[in-house]
Amino acid sequence: MLSFRRRVVAALLTKVEPERRSAAEAYVEGALGAMPEHLKIGVTADSVLLSVWARAKHPFDLTDEALLELVEGWETSRLAPVRQYARLLGSLVIFAQNEFPEDVAA
Amino acid sequence: MSTLSTEVLIIGSGAGGAVSAALLAEAGRKVTVVEEGSWLDPDDCEPFSLEELVTKYRNQGLSAALGTPGVAYAEGRCVGGGTEINSGLYRRLPHDLSQEWVRRYQIADFDTATLDRYATEVEDYLGVSRLPGPPPPASAILEDGAAKLGWRATEFERAFRYESSGRAVKQTMARTFVPRGTAAGAELIADCRVSKITFEGTRATGATCVRTRPDGSTEPLTIRADHVIVCGGAIQTPALLQRSGIHGTIGTGLKFHPTIKVAARFGHSLDHGEVPMHRVMEFGPFLTIGGSASRKGHVALALADTSVPYADALADWRNVAVYYAAIRGGNGRVRAVPGLRSPLVTYHLSEADMSRLARGLVHLGEVLLAAGSTELYPGLAGGPVVRSPEELVQWWDAFKRGTANVMTVHLTSTVRMGEDRERTGADSYGRVHGYTNLRVNDSSLLPDAPGVNPQAAIMAIAARNCAQFLSA
Repeated sequence: MLSFRRRVVAALLTKVEPERRSAAEAYVEGALGAMPEHLKIGVTADSVLLSVWARAKHPFDLTDEALLELVEGWETSRLAPVRQYARLLGSLVIFAQNEFPEDVAA
Repeated sequence: MSTLSTEVLIIGSGAGGAVSAALLAEAGRKVTVVEEGSWLDPDDCEPFSLEELVTKYRNQGLSAALGTPGVAYAEGRCVGGGTEINSGLYRRLPHDLSQEWVRRYQIADFDTATLDRYATEVEDYLGVSRLPGPPPPASAILEDGAAKLGWRATEFERAFRYESSGRAVKQTMARTFVPRGTAAGAELIADCRVSKITFEGTRATGATCVRTRPDGSTEPLTIRADHVIVCGGAIQTPALLQRSGIHGTIGTGLKFHPTIKVAARFGHSLDHGEVPMHRVMEFGPFLTIGGSASRKGHVALALADTSVPYADALADWRNVAVYYAAIRGGNGRVRAVPGLRSPLVTYHLSEADMSRLARGLVHLGEVLLAAGSTELYPGLAGGPVVRSPEELVQWWDAFKRGTANVMTVHLTSTVRMGEDRERTGADSYGRVHGYTNLRVNDSSLLPDAPGVNPQAAIMAIAARNCAQFLSA
């Protein structure tokens, strides 16, 4: 469910200027790829389940806004894997967003 | 397949490995150091930057101990190991703790005078000292807040030297003991991961490795050695020993300092380039309060931990810095899993540990408010932003296993040294029980988390163990 994870990351980056967005997306992908295998397995399993959940909630209108709203709810979910998934992706995006220099695209 | 021979094979080039390499090479031993990470110039990237995270941290900083709560942790993975990514704060092992270890684990020759002798040698070489001038604002806040509350605060020394321009240069292993070792004849092989240690009976004969060439291709490498010293740190050392067939107590007893953070906003700007040198020691050794890296990305992360809107505070990030409360507590385990490159790390915090961490968070809030902070964002999902001491009580209620964002950096104790074989994996000098020429010389040997930055203890113990190795 790589595509769903990428969609979540892209949705979290919608407010970032386009020239920095692709660099941030590449960083997030690289960081997730560098994780220990057992953590990667957990993230993949979360992606599968949450993709199904998201599509069940929004079968015909899973827009970026709807996805962001879901992710915001997942951040305080009572289910630890759901909460950790949202926080992990959110943290990577926030760090990249605030650490990439303005001229990263150059 | 390439094969090479050496007298002493040292696996890892961090605080333990680099000291071992330099001291043994200077004593005339033929030393080869293998390091899984790359050689990177210490000036190549800014401290605590995203670039540093990507190039110098294992797993790009995304490692975690499983548990409730899970605990994020960081390890260095480059020549110089953890010393390339840490704050450079330096604190000797507390005497009462070392003597408690002597009693509990039956460690020989571990008296205060012996440890101090080796610590002094290391400190003189690294130039360990206090800041030459007054502390920067983010550090002075801790001193000021503690003074107003009547609490003890201390300025920690650092392994830094100061250039004539005033620039402070952290004395990492890549700047100090690694070049000192190679100057004395030690061979350094970077980008080389050790798969297994090889044995004949109870004698280590070397290691099998995979070396990565500059073009990214790999080649197997066999190293034959008369002695093997493992210095991969508290996670990688036990994992390698387990992959090599050594189990028993190896990998058990993992300790670290569970840490929770607060982003504190002030009415004035703060410095963001360095980690604050002051620590509040009023509740030590089991609870310490200090400051963290506070680049814009760290400030944003800490603000976001609270899960409340933070755009206004982030826009004002130059007036925000990140602080922490860290405890000694909990217990964990490292397990090498067949087929997986990374070991499985688990950690358990008891109810008492969680309570102590919550208390630490509240004390951290007290000291920051006393120092004039106007807003505190705790590392608690859904935790309330606090603006006065009366509001701090809300953090007690908000602090739960499911809401606390816990992290750590100081990992120790997965081998443990001493003569009590039921509690330790190595003898008093790091020789692995049951093996004649296999040693460990890194943070794994510390029997418990020291309550302070462990680099000083690791280096002094490594120097002591090398002296014993040379005299044996």
